[in-house]
Amino acid sequence: MKSPATEAPAEPGPPPIKTRRFSVSLVWLVPLVAVLVGLSLVIHSKLQEGPTITLNFKTGSGLVANKTEVKYRSVVIGHVSAVALSDDQRSVNATVQLDKQAEGFTREDSQFWVVRPRIGAGGVSGIDTLLSGDYIGADIGQAEGRAKRFKGLENPPPITYGEPGKRFTLHTQDLGSLDIGSPVYYRKIPVGQVVAYALDADGKGVNIEVFIHAPNDAYVTDNTRFWNASGIDVNVGANGVAIKTESLSTLLVGGIAFRAPEYSPNDSAAAEARTYELFDDQQTALAPPSGKAQYLTLRFDQAMRGLKVGAPVEFLGIEIGRVVSVNLDFDEVQRSFPINVGIVVYAQRLGQAHKKMLKALKHDPDDMTATAQVFSSFVANGLRAQARNGNLLTGQLYIALDFFPKAPKVAFDLNARPIAIPTLPGSLEILQEQLQAMLEKINKLPVERIAGNLDGNLVELRKGLMQFNSRTLPGVQSTLADVSKTLQSASATLAEDSPQREKLSETLDELGRMSRSLRDLSDYLGRNPEALIRGRPSNAPPIDLQGPPRN
Amino acid sequence: MATMASTAQLIICEHCDCVYQQVVLGKHQKSLCVRCAGVLERYNGLTVEQRLALTITAAMLWLFANFYPIMTISLQGLKNSATLWDSVLALSQGPITFIAMVAAIAIIIAPAFQLMLLIWVLAFALSQRRAPAFKLCMRWLETLRPWSMLEVCLLGAMVAVFKLAGMLAVLPGIGLFALAALSLLLIRIAGRDIRELWALP
Repeated sequence: MKSPATEAPAEPGPPPIKTRRFSVSLVWLVPLVAVLVGLSLVIHSKLQEGPTITLNFKTGSGLVANKTEVKYRSVVIGHVSAVALSDDQRSVNATVQLDKQAEGFTREDSQFWVVRPRIGAGGVSGIDTLLSGDYIGADIGQAEGRAKRFKGLENPPPITYGEPGKRFTLHTQDLGSLDIGSPVYYRKIPVGQVVAYALDADGKGVNIEVFIHAPNDAYVTDNTRFWNASGIDVNVGANGVAIKTESLSTLLVGGIAFRAPEYSPNDSAAAEARTYELFDDQQTALAPPSGKAQYLTLRFDQAMRGLKVGAPVEFLGIEIGRVVSVNLDFDEVQRSFPINVGIVVYAQRLGQAHKKMLKALKHDPDDMTATAQVFSSFVANGLRAQARNGNLLTGQLYIALDFFPKAPKVAFDLNARPIAIPTLPGSLEILQEQLQAMLEKINKLPVERIAGNLDGNLVELRKGLMQFNSRTLPGVQSTLADVSKTLQSASATLAEDSPQREKLSETLDELGRMSRSLRDLSDYLGRNPEALIRGRPSNAPPIDLQGPPRN
Repeated sequence: MATMASTAQLIICEHCDCVYQQVVLGKHQKSLCVRCAGVLERYNGLTVEQRLALTITAAMLWLFANFYPIMTISLQGLKNSATLWDSVLALSQGPITFIAMVAAIAIIIAPAFQLMLLIWVLAFALSQRRAPAFKLCMRWLETLRPWSMLEVCLLGAMVAVFKLAGMLAVLPGIGLFALAALSLLLIRIAGRDIRELWALP
């Protein structure tokens, strides 16, 4: 600062300048824009970010953090953000960051699975993952509840994306060659597939879940029967050999077919999740329902070779059941080994007869005592069981229930359970016995003595024949030669021009004349008997001119 | 005092050590050395405030370049994207781990340090003061300059993009644009002309 001059007039000094403490230059807009852009990017990605879920898989094979995607209908809906072992080291937890739009996939029943190349019953799937790497497939659920943790499926669910159709449960004894993806046929057209199977709670059967696609699910009706169409059905009958199979693929992967019996009145489409029985083949499936099973026991005193479990039981030639057990027993009194055969019969297979019988007897099939009484009356009328030969070649036996009015009476135990039906030896056994008796009689014949005598006789006969040959035959030959000579001379004698024959004819002529004169004589004598005494008058007319003789 | 004041007004040619008196330059002007014809000084249009603003912008761009993917490639559904840090990690898993360290220094660490030091020094310079450890900071800024090789990285990334474009579907990411902007900005703000700051009291 300069010192002010005292003599000179005061010059105007510069006014004090006040600078704004915080002057903001326009240049600050540049970092501001950068920050805004950054913020917008961050906010945008935050807004895009959907829920985070954890999937639990058995292995982490194919799962890569920040790379593996989650897809629904081939559209990316999220990605795996981390893959880590679970706390107990038994599985793998994949943390998935879902997109905002994929919020619905947190529904409790959503499904997740790893898509890999697979060759299964239904064909080949997931080929595209050979190049792109595995991804996680997702299927949205329907439930209202939300979840954060999901159990990943080991296999892709066969039915996804809320496909229209119906699910049904089939109950069977064993799975057979069926598998998930095995086709379901209706009139040989594939209309669905097996989607799941599980053992019963008690382990005594298998429940198979099938899915029938719309609109063919309408053909599953209340009367529909399902049967296992796996493999080949070879039928050898009187008409030849018939080989049937649903399709070539069922040979490999099995299959199920269904159909309602041709006559199914008042049939309506089945409700979802209905349970059906899965029959072994079409024939049993379409057969009329068997109804209540009635277990019976039979006791045979003969060998039951050829009787197998499953052999048919026929009543008057109609198949009404089958053999369920063949067991050896020991009879303490007789010290013998009878055979107990358990059979099951289905009275309903008798059809009309069964209905009529129920009506006539006013019988309730569920009342065991009444049933025993019905059987008792039948047995009194001669109902007996018999093991018969179904096939002479193979010796297969079947059980026949028939009425034998002449059968010996037996006591019927009303309290025995299962009901015991008395038996008769089989027809072949009776035949066998008769044959044996005949053989025994034949055995008793003095065959050796007869044979000895016969032998002696034969020796004698041979001797006689030899004698005949050596002695008699030459004689016979000479005799025959003589005979021939005689015949020759005879023929010479009888020849046309032989003198003997000439003489003979002359003699015959003479004989003729003689007989004529004799007749004349006899005629003359007839008319003139006196001539016998007087001789012939000299004037007598010739014989021819005389009249007929008078009496 | 007079000698001190006069030395502050002098400038030395960095190529041939010829001494000149500093002159005030206008727009589009530069001073040249008489002896070697090298550039002594260019017109610097940035005030301290502007430089600080741009430095903060550069810091933002550095964040983008490091946290957003540089590029995304996809082939038949096989998809991959990488950030700068991913590329360093990829190098470290290869047989030449040492190169990964060099790359990390050249494209991530060196620019980051440059930006931090600039912000530190310029923030204090705004109020006409020397920042604490001013000398150390200024010397490190000089040392780091040759190590910051964002331009090289940018060129490499662009060559990769163009080369791969024929074979794969290549999608340049936000990171690549941020990297391009950052490398240009860094040349402008962390250049030699920050030596003006030595004039601070």
